Amino acid sequence: MTVIRAMDKTMTCSEFQDALPELFETQADLSGQEHLKSCENCAALVRDLQYIASQARLLLPIHDPSPEVWDHIQQAIRQEKPEPPAAARK
Amino acid sequence: MSLTAQKTTNSRATGASSHATIARERFVLMAGPTQPRPANQHLRRNPPIAGEQEAIDRAREGDGRAFETLYAMHKRRVYSLCLRMLGNVAEAEDLTQEAFLQLYRKIGTFRGDSAFSTWLHRLAVNVVLMHLRRKGLPQVSLEETLEPSQDDGPRKDIGARDLTLSGSIDRVTLERAIENLPPGYRLVFVLHDVEGYEHNEIAEMLDCSIGNSKSQLHKARMKLRDLLRTGQRKEQIA
Repeated sequence: MTVIRAMDKTMTCSEFQDALPELFETQADLSGQEHLKSCENCAALVRDLQYIASQARLLLPIHDPSPEVWDHIQQAIRQEKPEPPAAARK
Repeated sequence: MSLTAQKTTNSRATGASSHATIARERFVLMAGPTQPRPANQHLRRNPPIAGEQEAIDRAREGDGRAFETLYAMHKRRVYSLCLRMLGNVAEAEDLTQEAFLQLYRKIGTFRGDSAFSTWLHRLAVNVVLMHLRRKGLPQVSLEETLEPSQDDGPRKDIGARDLTLSGSIDRVTLERAIENLPPGYRLVFVLHDVEGYEHNEIAEMLDCSIGNSKSQLHKARMKLRDLLRTGQRKEQIA
């Protein structure tokens, strides 16, 4: 339904932007959208949102927590050891 | 045992700005293509991990080495989520520790209905949200994710464009803008656009609908665009 409406040439900016979340998920290429051919504002919006998403994917972390974190986890686990295994308690 | 008693006493950076700087320094750009990809064609960043299921099975039986294996497999992802949400190394490490202790206590309840990483991230998300609430941010809640303020919704009238973002965002600028997102938006944005989780996985983590996850992501991107454009305008004026 949303996609069909998105192809409507008479779609307003408001209607197009309402449909955008679903369009981003269902269509690889939005450049064919009729509304974008005649609306520079929405075309710029789509470009910006796609650019933000693409840049965010480059922010994957490569750092680990410090070794002290595992040390503290081990200490905590040792103090819990007298109790039954986790599986038996939950 | 009290978790508080086991909290890491981190003597590293103590000022907010220092924390933020360190947080930024601990993230780097991954080498890779820079051209935008369609939003629905994510790199699959949460593939099954070799040996994970065996480690889960053994850890459920109380095998400490298996639990260590699970920690090694997932520590970076959990830590990165905490760091993104807190922007503070010391707090992020404390919450990473707490998330894995929760895992230790609850791994027996994992039934395999979802991917283990999704299940573990849900634990971590809850730990982060509880922490933020304790810090006096009552607006940080799953309810915020489910019922965002109307003010934060996408604007219908964009107005004349005086600026385009494409090709002008560097990593530090984007990270600073992400830090300024409302926590609920930041969480969905980080999980989807940075961490690469799918909407069905995020919906499971946050106890919300898939549609809600999509909507929140869109609003987060819109908010980011506003933040980035505002920053660029200030730079131009300066």
